[in-house]
Amino acid sequence: MSQENATKSNLQSSAAPLTSAALTEDWLAVVIGLALFALALIALTGVDALGWVVVASVWTSPDSALGPISKAYAWLGGFNSFVLTYLFLLAVLSAGAATLKADVRRFAVAFTVVFWIAYASWVIGSYAHFAAVTPADLKKFDIHWSLKLTNEGGYLIALIAGLIIANFIPRLAEWLKPAVRPELYVKIAIVILGGFLAVTVASRLNLATSVLLRGTAAIIEAYLIYWAVVYFIARQWFGFSREWAAPLASGISICGVAAAIATGGAIRARPAVAVLVSSLVVIFAVVEVLILPFLADAFLSHEPLVAGAWMGLAIKTDGAAVAGGGITESLILAHAASEGVRYQPGWILGTSATVKVFIDIFIGIWAFILSYIWTNHINVTNDGDKAKLAEIWLRFPKFVIGFVLTFAIGLYLSLSMPAELAAKLPAAMGQANAFRVIFFILTFFSIGLSSNFKALWQDGFLKLAAVYLVSLFGFVIWVGLLISWLFFAGVRPPLAA
Amino acid sequence: MPQSDLRAELQNQQREPLLPIEKKLIVGSLVTGIVLLVALALLNHLFPEIR
Repeated sequence: MSQENATKSNLQSSAAPLTSAALTEDWLAVVIGLALFALALIALTGVDALGWVVVASVWTSPDSALGPISKAYAWLGGFNSFVLTYLFLLAVLSAGAATLKADVRRFAVAFTVVFWIAYASWVIGSYAHFAAVTPADLKKFDIHWSLKLTNEGGYLIALIAGLIIANFIPRLAEWLKPAVRPELYVKIAIVILGGFLAVTVASRLNLATSVLLRGTAAIIEAYLIYWAVVYFIARQWFGFSREWAAPLASGISICGVAAAIATGGAIRARPAVAVLVSSLVVIFAVVEVLILPFLADAFLSHEPLVAGAWMGLAIKTDGAAVAGGGITESLILAHAASEGVRYQPGWILGTSATVKVFIDIFIGIWAFILSYIWTNHINVTNDGDKAKLAEIWLRFPKFVIGFVLTFAIGLYLSLSMPAELAAKLPAAMGQANAFRVIFFILTFFSIGLSSNFKALWQDGFLKLAAVYLVSLFGFVIWVGLLISWLFFAGVRPPLAA
Repeated sequence: MPQSDLRAELQNQQREPLLPIEKKLIVGSLVTGIVLLVALALLNHLFPEIR
């Protein structure tokens, strides 16, 4: 039952508005993401509104682990900066919880624990023996070995911390549930990411356009090829009914939890079906995040954008895919740096995010097509329950609007402002990006907390898992790699200045 | 619906044969997808743009 509960918040966030809340999680992500983006832009006027946000540096002495992002706030010190960041996010997200009609007090208490454990994982990940990469780094920290994970290895530590709690201290995981909102956290991060990517690509618009055009291949692959094959496998090889096979195919093929829920609604499946499929999606996404970035680093470090696209195509759920892109980027950049090649950061992660967002935006249309087929040909219903065009908008992932807005505004400012002001933009976006990193950390920890492997096996849903296993590892991952290679091989990020 | 009911349902599902509309959906999706991917791959090959 805990798995069922674990994905109920995702149900509310990803599907059409199912509650009487003032905002859905999607719209809330847009509001918070845009607000942080706007606050960061204030820096262009010379007012450092977000300079106090905490960042972690690679460390050997805990005293030097934390600090504010802006030197203007150096007087705050690392710990005060951390506490200020926590209080700020507590206030913002508690207000958000109120708009979702959640129990604000329960949220605030649970969020406090989630934030502190998640950020502690991030700080541990920044320990020099985990994070130092180049020989110069080793010398600087006076150490002789390092796992070379970069400080973004902290994402994996947050994920593992969440998994340990979910699987060995389930009562604590249950208690933390009000603040376990991976979809909300990653959507806020993606909205912020739009502005950061805009500044990154402004100097290489041709390359950015090229990545966008190649992203269309991902849509075709996910909806037309993956879906059809997985649906066939589920129906013919495993004997699932249509009610189970369609959400399962969408969950495995498209964008995980949101797709499973949208499809369940489109074919009028019982809510419990989408909930169980969503549980599976989250669990397998965790397995993928733990494996694929390292495979990408081992075999695709010379084709960085192939690796980025592969993460967007192969890992399901927005959070895990974009986060997987982040880990892949850090591993490959470190790998390349150790060989003397310094790629500009942001392109690998940007490719993963672009591919994922491209796939996401068509979920409404796909849900409408399935709904039309089901209500007119399979379970023929009365006119009142037939597919409606409004369903396309209802299922549209609204956070994409925030992503497009921050990207468009960031690009416009980069290209149109006087050079003196434009030069300040990367630093301003860097401050917003510090929040993006924090929301990624919260996403990883929350994904771990949502993944109770034991409950899944105890509940005996191995047949569902078998379809997922066969489809994902026998087909989805490898076809994703092939398509990524076909369209992104030879396309390389610019070198860092 | 309790989990145990769902588990029993999953284990004892009656096989539903593929309807003609499902076959059309599967084959139509696959054929359209492969044709579009080949077309895109050709475009990508002919107009490699910036690499």
